[in-house]
Amino acid sequence: MSTLKRTVLFDEHIKLKANMVDFGGWEMPVNYPAGIVEEHLYTRKKAGIFDVSHMGRFVITGKEAVKFLQYVLTSNVLALDLNQAQYSMIPNENGGALDDAYLYRFYEDEYLLVVNASNADKDWAHLTEVIKGFDAQITNQSEALGMIAIQGPDSKNILARLSKDPNLTEPVKNALNIIELDGKEVRIAKTGYTGEPIGFELFVKAEEAAAIWRLLLDNGAMPTGLGARDTLRLEAGLPLYGHELGLDAEGKEIPIFAVPLAKFAVSFAEAKGEYIGRSALLKQFEAFQKIMNRDFSDLTALPRVIKPIALSEKGIARAGFKVFKNGAEIGYMTSGTMVPYYKTEGHGLDTLIKDEKAMRAIGLALLDSDILVDDEVEVEIRNNKVKAVIPPYHMRGDAPPFARPILYGFTETYVADASTDYKAKALNLLEKSFENHMWRQEESINLIPSEQTHSSAVRLLSILDPSFRYAEHKKIKSFYDYDVFYYQGTKFIDEVEHQLIEELKKYFGCSEVETRVTSGQMANTAVFSAVMDFKNRVNRKRDASRLGYVMNNHIIRGGHLSAQPMGALHDYIAIDPVTEKPAIVNFPVLKENSFKIDVEETKKLIAKYKPELIIFGKSMVLHKEPVKEIRAFVDEQKINTTIMYDMAHVLGLAGDYFQNPFAEGAEIVTGSTHKTFFGSQRGIIAANYKETDLKYGLWETIETRAFPGSVSNHHLGTMLALLMAAYEMNHFKDDYQKNIVENAKYFAKCLKQAGLDVAGDPDISYTETHQVIVRVGYGTGPEAANRLEDNNIIVNYQATPEEEGFTASGALRLGVSEMVRFGFGRQEFEQLAELMADVILRNKTVKEDVRKMRSAYTTMKYCFTDADIAAAMNKLGRCLPL
Amino acid sequence: MKTIEGLFYSKDHEWVRVEGSKAYVGITDYAQHALGDIVYVELPEAGASMKQDETFGSVESVKAASDMILPVSGTITEVNDAVTEDPALVNQDAFENWMLIVEMSDPTELEHLMNAVAYKEFCGEEA
Repeated sequence: MSTLKRTVLFDEHIKLKANMVDFGGWEMPVNYPAGIVEEHLYTRKKAGIFDVSHMGRFVITGKEAVKFLQYVLTSNVLALDLNQAQYSMIPNENGGALDDAYLYRFYEDEYLLVVNASNADKDWAHLTEVIKGFDAQITNQSEALGMIAIQGPDSKNILARLSKDPNLTEPVKNALNIIELDGKEVRIAKTGYTGEPIGFELFVKAEEAAAIWRLLLDNGAMPTGLGARDTLRLEAGLPLYGHELGLDAEGKEIPIFAVPLAKFAVSFAEAKGEYIGRSALLKQFEAFQKIMNRDFSDLTALPRVIKPIALSEKGIARAGFKVFKNGAEIGYMTSGTMVPYYKTEGHGLDTLIKDEKAMRAIGLALLDSDILVDDEVEVEIRNNKVKAVIPPYHMRGDAPPFARPILYGFTETYVADASTDYKAKALNLLEKSFENHMWRQEESINLIPSEQTHSSAVRLLSILDPSFRYAEHKKIKSFYDYDVFYYQGTKFIDEVEHQLIEELKKYFGCSEVETRVTSGQMANTAVFSAVMDFKNRVNRKRDASRLGYVMNNHIIRGGHLSAQPMGALHDYIAIDPVTEKPAIVNFPVLKENSFKIDVEETKKLIAKYKPELIIFGKSMVLHKEPVKEIRAFVDEQKINTTIMYDMAHVLGLAGDYFQNPFAEGAEIVTGSTHKTFFGSQRGIIAANYKETDLKYGLWETIETRAFPGSVSNHHLGTMLALLMAAYEMNHFKDDYQKNIVENAKYFAKCLKQAGLDVAGDPDISYTETHQVIVRVGYGTGPEAANRLEDNNIIVNYQATPEEEGFTASGALRLGVSEMVRFGFGRQEFEQLAELMADVILRNKTVKEDVRKMRSAYTTMKYCFTDADIAAAMNKLGRCLPL
Repeated sequence: MKTIEGLFYSKDHEWVRVEGSKAYVGITDYAQHALGDIVYVELPEAGASMKQDETFGSVESVKAASDMILPVSGTITEVNDAVTEDPALVNQDAFENWMLIVEMSDPTELEHLMNAVAYKEFCGEEA
């Protein structure tokens, strides 16, 4: 035993009565008294801590550090920004793995490579040999640094409580930061080997590791041994060297692309250049792509790949057991055991994780590449063939903060109305619609900031005759850009549309408006398409080049979905050839206020990336966007760019109480017309180009990308209604906008006074818009929003800039605009703040109070209501055949 | 580790409790502890006749699988479904939760097994 190596936490494991075993030459805890099953489950439900100090830690520095790493690793090291980590492989010339590894960049010029304990000596020998050809240095920091992983949904809360910087890292996988825990400097990485969406690895000075370990234990983390580490990684489908990587059962090299993670770990970027094993890997990659397309004609470069496997009958499939399909051997188990999980109850986001546990026999197997998901196979267990199946995965981590087991064969069910009595169905629908309407309009308080009830006139107009019609039209150059309509019967619509354009030009103080797009997202798609088309207009004989760089607000900072690569930008954004990621630059935010753009840092990024398009605007918005400052900067620096502002949420606030986008220098404004702008549900595009401007051509392209690019029928009923809303807005906007901003600020103050945690800058009363953000606790946003709904207060849960996404959201997003229109003022918002605090903080039932309060405010303000209007509306109402 | 006086123990870490010609067979506390969380138990059908030292089933934890070796020859008259249903019972009490009952065909085989003291010593050596 004395020849085994020990980590700096050895004494801690002994104190905790761990079951110590030899693991790759290290004396390590396989489990603690709680046992593997409990340790696994506790990590999934709360948080486990793991001593991973046995792993190898090498630091690479020097002028050619990147060049060396590009040569010796499979990943694209140029894509690794400061404070990021990436998964990688140490390849050999055959395209096999010497090891898999994680590369961390905590400092500008220093890379930390973490390798498997059992391979550390072999890796060190290889790396120190290869580095001789480079002007770079490698040092072994394995002894100087201790390494502790803390994984599981509660790990973030535990660390946030202990750290002075509760943000820890950016809320994305592989983000890094340097924080302080208990007065000790800790390098923290949002990485791990458990599949947990929330989990961190900590690098600490060796002599401080034990104190940090104890601190985490004292704060609710459970010590977790290598046994549970293995079941956790297996459930997550993560490879283990010696099982899924390295040599196979016959001693042959397992190709790196046999491991599903290879597609993230291997890069063929031009900027990466030649590296060890590249040509073999390229062959594997070509085979991999064929396999993905179910072309199994040539599998020589990749005959077998790693797949998850789940037993359908009793038994446990262990590593080495053979796998058969229709009697023929198709491969073997690389890992396999029985793993525990907690049973659940309920559906979707309301899924309750119970205390009752169960076990399932799962594994990973190296199988013929033509084996497909859902294939039924057999595993040979002690001479018996036991039925098994190939599931798509064993677990998913895409609904943080929990990793969720996926049980093969389970399907969600929705309540279906099987009745064939269509009259009964019709009556039921009418009745339920009535109930819903009354509930939303008279009994509940709506605080969703992206919604609005329309005035009666707007509602009525939206269902009148034009809503059944078409009115396609196009400007024709031969007629001096006079609009030509394709159908007859459209004179009224022609008039309505031109008046709408004129009203909106007046509203924004701009020269051009396009109203045919039927949503804000469509407005953005049309603009992105036009900007890309305009970029390529001089040479259309080649594939159009996409946009890059584009600057936007990151979605976790409140950026619009429609301005993201996953949203409307999807087909228009280029891939940066160096980083192999979408050519997006996000607005940096202030350290002390992550809701606000950092103007000085933004200028630096603009100077560096020279973005072709700058997109202001957010859906979680507390502040004005710095349009003026950025316009001044790009003009002064003569940077050729287009500044657009997706005002969606704040479209109805454009003006002196918020900001005037065109006066401040935006060229294009897009938005949806039904948020603070209380019109029907549509989109608009506005611009401020003169006909003599070069970019007037861009405007003309935007018009053609609206029609025929985006719509044929532009939903004439809601367009007619929007004209009425535009009249209302231009008439009432001074009062309306002032009251919105004032009430939002007052509401925020009342919520704060009621004991709630209001986000934002108290010096400006937390908000400059219609929105207020209230923090209710990490991951508890959906639950709080549900409770409010049960009490007739409708809000939406919201991930703040520190949170991983909507399932992990710890905040509520509130908007005052609809209730202001129903007549809420200071007194009402004060009362509402108290009721909300009762529900959120004290779990009280206030449904009746809310219903009573709401029932007194059902008359819409900021719209025309006198007797003449009423008479005209009645006349219209009578033409509906009711 | 726990042992019980009056039982017979095999070097494969099974125990035998004799009631007349019937033998209850289970795995020892030492064995359950060494295995850790037991998650699967496989037992034969009742009615089978088996010889001493034959493999009669397997007991598996998260980290390992272990064959169970019959310490005495005979006919299996009963298997304990409770442990196949809930294998964790074996971790809770390895002596209470037997695996099967054998109608012994040759009780003299018991002489080849150890008593509690000898077994304790045997485990000490193995460790």
